[in-house]
Amino acid sequence: MSTRSTTVPLSPVGRGSGRGLTLTLSLALAFFFGLPLALLLFQARTAPRWTEVWFAPESLQALAGTLISSIGAALFAFTVAVPLALLIARTDLPLKNGLRAIFTLPAALPPFILGMGWVSLANPRAGLLNLLLGAGTFNIYGRLGIAFVLGTAGLPLVLLPTLAALSRIDSSLEEAARLSGASPVRALLSISLPLALPAALSGTALCFLFAASAFGVPYLLGVTASPPSPTLTTRIYGEILMGQGGLPRAVVLSLELLLLAALVLLGSRALAKRGEVRLSSGKGLSLRPMPLGRARLPLAATGVTLALVLVILPLLAVALTSVQPVWGQLTGLSAKHWSGVLSNPRTIDATLRSLGLAAAAAALVTTLGLGIASTKRRSLELLSGAPYAIPGTVLALALVIAFSRDVRFVLFDRVAFVLALGNTLWMLLVAYTVKHLAFGARNAADGLAQVDATLAEAARLSGASPRRAFFDATLPQLRAPLLAAFLVTFLTCVTELTLSVLLIPTGRDVLGTLLFELQSYADPGSAAVIACAFVLLVIALQLAQTLVTRRRQP
Amino acid sequence: MAGVELTQVHKAYGTTAVVKGISLTIASGEFISLLGPSGCGKTTTLRMIAGLETLDAGTISIGGDVVDGPSGHLPPEKRALGMVFQSYAVWPHKSVAENVAYPLLLQGRPRAEVARRVAEALDWVRLGSFAQRMPSQLSGGQLQRVAIARALVGSPRVLLLDEPLSNLDAALREELRGEIAALRARLGTTMIFVTHDQHEALALADRVAVMHQGVIEQIDTPERIYQSPSTPFVAGFVGGANRLEGRVEGRQFRCGAHTFVLPPGVAAVEGPSTLAVRAEELELGGEGPSLPLLARLFLGSATEYRFTLGDTVLRVVGPAREARPGESLTVSLRHARLYPR
Ligand SMILES: Nc1ncnc2c1ncn2[C@@H]1O[C@H](COP(=O)(O)OP(=O)(O)O)[C@@H](O)[C@H]1O
Ligand SMILES: [Mg+2]
Repeated sequence: MSTRSTTVPLSPVGRGSGRGLTLTLSLALAFFFGLPLALLLFQARTAPRWTEVWFAPESLQALAGTLISSIGAALFAFTVAVPLALLIARTDLPLKNGLRAIFTLPAALPPFILGMGWVSLANPRAGLLNLLLGAGTFNIYGRLGIAFVLGTAGLPLVLLPTLAALSRIDSSLEEAARLSGASPVRALLSISLPLALPAALSGTALCFLFAASAFGVPYLLGVTASPPSPTLTTRIYGEILMGQGGLPRAVVLSLELLLLAALVLLGSRALAKRGEVRLSSGKGLSLRPMPLGRARLPLAATGVTLALVLVILPLLAVALTSVQPVWGQLTGLSAKHWSGVLSNPRTIDATLRSLGLAAAAAALVTTLGLGIASTKRRSLELLSGAPYAIPGTVLALALVIAFSRDVRFVLFDRVAFVLALGNTLWMLLVAYTVKHLAFGARNAADGLAQVDATLAEAARLSGASPRRAFFDATLPQLRAPLLAAFLVTFLTCVTELTLSVLLIPTGRDVLGTLLFELQSYADPGSAAVIACAFVLLVIALQLAQTLVTRRRQP
Repeated sequence: MAGVELTQVHKAYGTTAVVKGISLTIASGEFISLLGPSGCGKTTTLRMIAGLETLDAGTISIGGDVVDGPSGHLPPEKRALGMVFQSYAVWPHKSVAENVAYPLLLQGRPRAEVARRVAEALDWVRLGSFAQRMPSQLSGGQLQRVAIARALVGSPRVLLLDEPLSNLDAALREELRGEIAALRARLGTTMIFVTHDQHEALALADRVAVMHQGVIEQIDTPERIYQSPSTPFVAGFVGGANRLEGRVEGRQFRCGAHTFVLPPGVAAVEGPSTLAVRAEELELGGEGPSLPLLARLFLGSATEYRFTLGDTVLRVVGPAREARPGESLTVSLRHARLYPR
């Protein structure tokens, strides 16, 4: 063996390779998110007296609308999701996998489509249910209708984290309660439920935020209700449409919505921290479903009925609407909407535009998310999640203010060519990407946490540079989470509505705005065709993803 | 306090039979240990007694009442038992005192009585000063003490323990084993203690039931289990005997090409037999086959010699002496047990 002299160049000790990446990503985030938000706050300074706007009767009515529909949605989601999660995760309920799949389906659908389904079912005059049972039996319009539809759409936000927490509870905890004299129900309620409650409550808070930020459903079910039931988001939209005069009021109302979101988020954080107990990591966990005995079949029947009514029925109603020649009349079936929509150049344009934008945004989100996660800076990761927590209406308004012609001119004299974003599709791409950055960062971070680091180390020892080792050994292990990030961003953006209605260049459409316009003003049948096509696309993609991941597993 | 009786109990998961006709009578106040290798059905048996699993066939009665059988199944919460789990199963969202109070609250005891009995139970396991702690602030040994206090506080008819010590490190295991013995002497509760560790079973129990592949091979006092194992399996599992297949011919045991001389006092029946001999019942030298040494392991108080014998390994424990692997040494029997096949 010969001793080698130390003429091999040594790298400096310490991190430093990630610095450039961290800096670039932080600057981009600051420019496209921090700056618009700062400008929104800056605008508020010159706006009319805040309290005057906040306490004007129309504003109070909108606030009440937001509060009632969001609290209602959160309560509804909690009430349905928590018992369901207990049954699915802890008992021998039949059909539990099917129920889980159906109840999580709304997570992949725009809530607007569920809203359309309920309009078709429970419009007081023309809804299918009312045609069958007599006019006025059901009325989906108004605050409670909004709460119900958003509660169904937001149900997965409570169900999924509760299921995750429950599946980390060792069955011996419940069995110890049984031996102590507790009945099965008592064991579930006094042991399993309290352990999963922090997860359920923070999911419920997310559901509240989701409902308070929603725009499409409150617009669909609130604006034309009698009496009209505005919410903060639909009020802000209305003010922005009024142009210059309304903009300051829109800004002040946005701050109100932002404040509400921040309060709920902070409150739920504090609550979750207090009740938190460390659950098993899942290693050596033993799960034995609790036998339900005679209650098994009735409970399964209840679950299936709920799934049918809450999820399947409105989707079927949309499908039926798409083949009804005249809306609101049961006069046979016809394919005229389908052929009309599919051959309409406007639909084709909007579809192509949406597919392109969504694919581009999904690619950007996935790449940037991977970049953010690979810096391993927790603060950057948290920051990249902030745009998702902010109501879309507020984010869109901030972007309008920051990148519309006037403001840009004053602030960025020299770099005007970069910033000609206002009234272009680029603005939508920026908005979609910023809003959904969290999807990319979270999936990539989770994926990186699972990565077997020794594989990259083995590559390094085989002679690969850090970069080469990342591409050859680490990246292949991230395929599944990155694919998931791409798909969820793509599906969310392809029918995105809240940002799109405010940022779309005049005279052009994307699928979301087209759906919105057709449903709200002209042609529910054609809107139903687009919605149906989208639901089919979602189901097909989910099946494909399941098949791909299943085949990969040994 | 109550006795427990299992009669021809069967249990299968799907098509695999896990418990195959177990019958067992446990007297009131008795401490019995179910001993056997992992996967032999001990936990399943215990969980059937607890009511956490249903039987496929057979009956179980506790205190003279049938709790499981053709006539039906009594759910665990109605059996008035206590159970200690291998994984502690201490509820992480309840304090130590709340954990221990739970069975009493479900019995509907008045507040003052609950407080008094919780304090008493915590004193039994020497956790009196930990009442207000949360489980996340306790060590494994303390968690298992909480679980024991919780299982005992409601005066159960029978205390069931499923490998309560196997998640603990060696020193703690020793300590807690002593405490269980002391508690048992003090409270006199009927106890069923499941373990795969022969030392625990032999040290604690009045009687040991050795289980193998879903059946009980032998039930006896620890002394008799150790001294007169009734099957080659029990001899091998308890005391770690070498097991050799061969034939008895006169006073000789022929095993492949090797012949051992049976010492006087070993009852032998002519014909095919299994010979079980503990490592310390063999010695180097004397009259016997000459075997190649595989390895020599220093154990502290003695030295273990491993020999190749056909396709098995023969373990011999004896005083230290010079020997190199590969060298051939004579091995002879000082004592042995023969099981005709
Ligand atoms: N819920 C179950 N489903 C299927 N097989 C099981 C189940 N529980 C235990 N078994 C099997 O039954 C056998 C006996 O298990 P167990 O009673 O836990 O053994 P022990 O406690 O003696 O280690 C094992 O082979 C185990 O894999
Ligand atoms: Mg076991």
